[in-house]
Amino acid sequence: MVRTILALMKKEFLQVIRDSNMLRMVFLMPIVQLFLLGYVASTDVKLISTAVYDDDRSGLSREYVRSLSAGEYFITDTPEISLLEAERGFRESRYEVALIIPRGFSRKLQESKQVKIGLMVDGTNANSASIALGYANVITRQFNERVTGFSPPITLRQKRLYNPEGESVYFMVPGIVATLLTMITMLLTSMAIVREREIGTLEQLMVTPISATALILGKTIPFALIGFLEMSVALFLGVTWFRIPFAGSWGLLYALSFLFLFTTLGTGMFISTISTTQQQAMFLTWFFAIFAIMTSGFFAPIANMPRSIQYLTYLNPLRYFMTTVRGIMMKGASLDVLYPQVMAMIIFGITIFTFSWLRFSKRVK
Amino acid sequence: MENAVVIDRLTKKFGDFTAVDEIGLTVQKGEIFGFLGANGAGKTTAIRMLCGLLLPTSGSGSVGGFDIYKETERIKKSIGYMSQKFSLYQDLTGDENLWFYGSVYQIPRRDLRKRMEELTETLGLSEFTNRPAGSLPVGWRQRLALATALLHRPKILFLDEPTAGIDPVFRRRFWEILYRLADEGTTLFVTTHYMDEAEFCRRISIMHQGKIIEVGKPQDLIARYDQPNLQETFITLISQEGGNG
Repeated sequence: MVRTILALMKKEFLQVIRDSNMLRMVFLMPIVQLFLLGYVASTDVKLISTAVYDDDRSGLSREYVRSLSAGEYFITDTPEISLLEAERGFRESRYEVALIIPRGFSRKLQESKQVKIGLMVDGTNANSASIALGYANVITRQFNERVTGFSPPITLRQKRLYNPEGESVYFMVPGIVATLLTMITMLLTSMAIVREREIGTLEQLMVTPISATALILGKTIPFALIGFLEMSVALFLGVTWFRIPFAGSWGLLYALSFLFLFTTLGTGMFISTISTTQQQAMFLTWFFAIFAIMTSGFFAPIANMPRSIQYLTYLNPLRYFMTTVRGIMMKGASLDVLYPQVMAMIIFGITIFTFSWLRFSKRVK
Repeated sequence: MENAVVIDRLTKKFGDFTAVDEIGLTVQKGEIFGFLGANGAGKTTAIRMLCGLLLPTSGSGSVGGFDIYKETERIKKSIGYMSQKFSLYQDLTGDENLWFYGSVYQIPRRDLRKRMEELTETLGLSEFTNRPAGSLPVGWRQRLALATALLHRPKILFLDEPTAGIDPVFRRRFWEILYRLADEGTTLFVTTHYMDEAEFCRRISIMHQGKIIEVGKPQDLIARYDQPNLQETFITLISQEGGNG
């Protein structure tokens, strides 16, 4: 039994190594996904190109503009423009924000009168627009206090936990780790079994005294190992290149990832029992994966989804794993807070793996 | 003499369709038995039942003395199976294919190396075992497939169109190997479309629309139907029966 499983494992590894497509998928996928999503899918709003229309032209108005551009959020180094040009600039996407300082700004301020500053934002991307407005608000409030020496009676003392710099990559990398493990283990398992069916070696194996158990273990353990390897590559790059903090326990992360694998390997096995060609297996895997990723909270928070979809996400095992990985990596969460996720993963893992195991055994016997 | 394969009224139905219809056969130990029939006659379904890949609907049968319902695991240990697809791992070398199947059959490690060498030697494969199976010419691939089916020294060997797509020279050599195996006591159960090959069999059966319509020695059948050769005998028999032959 052990020997048969080892023989199958060695065979699978040899096949992965000899298949250049497979090899590319296994080793380039984590790196490409990590860099693509780490950089491109960044939701950070920084370096907002800002047009300035300063009608006051006083020392104070210039100081206000300087304080706005002091951080890395607004760039105001565009030449002074007229209001007409600003509108054109918005349409051409040259600016995302236009600042209008009215005449009499510094005079009114010195007379302690109400002053209004205009701020126009390109609202095409609702998310980045509101973030830009938020930054401008904070900076204006700080400027207010500095110039007037007066602070309003109630102020918010804000503190961002777990990700003080508000780096979106800290949030993305754990998500990528979770999706990578899901994709690769599901895809490799389903493809490897279906490929054997396609070329006829599965039938050849069926006439040998191999047991269904040995076959299933020999066909899943190699891909679980490859999944762990990929996950480790992604984590390594995340920590060394993107310098994301790792708050929790590495051991717990790997242990719970192992638990989650029962779900993905089981799903991969299930897909193999309903596909006859590798193409079919590939499409089905993508279908399952897209659904799982979209409703896992990877990109959009689950709380933002319509109520009915929110209920649906409870049926998505990846949802629990996503929370687990982010919880461990970002918040240093341990079992005492993760137990609902762990319970869900145990239930899904056992159900899916057993169901697929039975279905697979029945098909091969 | 012992019987290697005994089946009686063996039937397989897929829904309303009867693929194998109450067939009966006895194959003796060490015999080369030709299992003939047109495409779709039910040969592959019958072989799959004998190899333990498919449960029969009704009827009885034993292979190597083991029951085809209850003892499929023991059947699998004592038979070899080679299909027309030459089910090898294309991206593994000949040696790796042999090693893999040898491990699956639990051949002791010490013996496995020796048996691999012996087999590749007798099959004239020695020079080709380091190349990926997929890169071998089809004739060599077929011999490699035979080698993987023989590693565990099966008592009965099922060959499902083992010479499909092989050139005549290779086919002749392949049959020489089969003869040697039969001399050593291996029972061979062969399907083929080549009637010249069928004449190499000691006995043959002809299947048509799920039924076995004739069994006997090739020369006896030729004489009985008064035909010049087996090809004509086969065609006569199938056309007599009518249908989609």
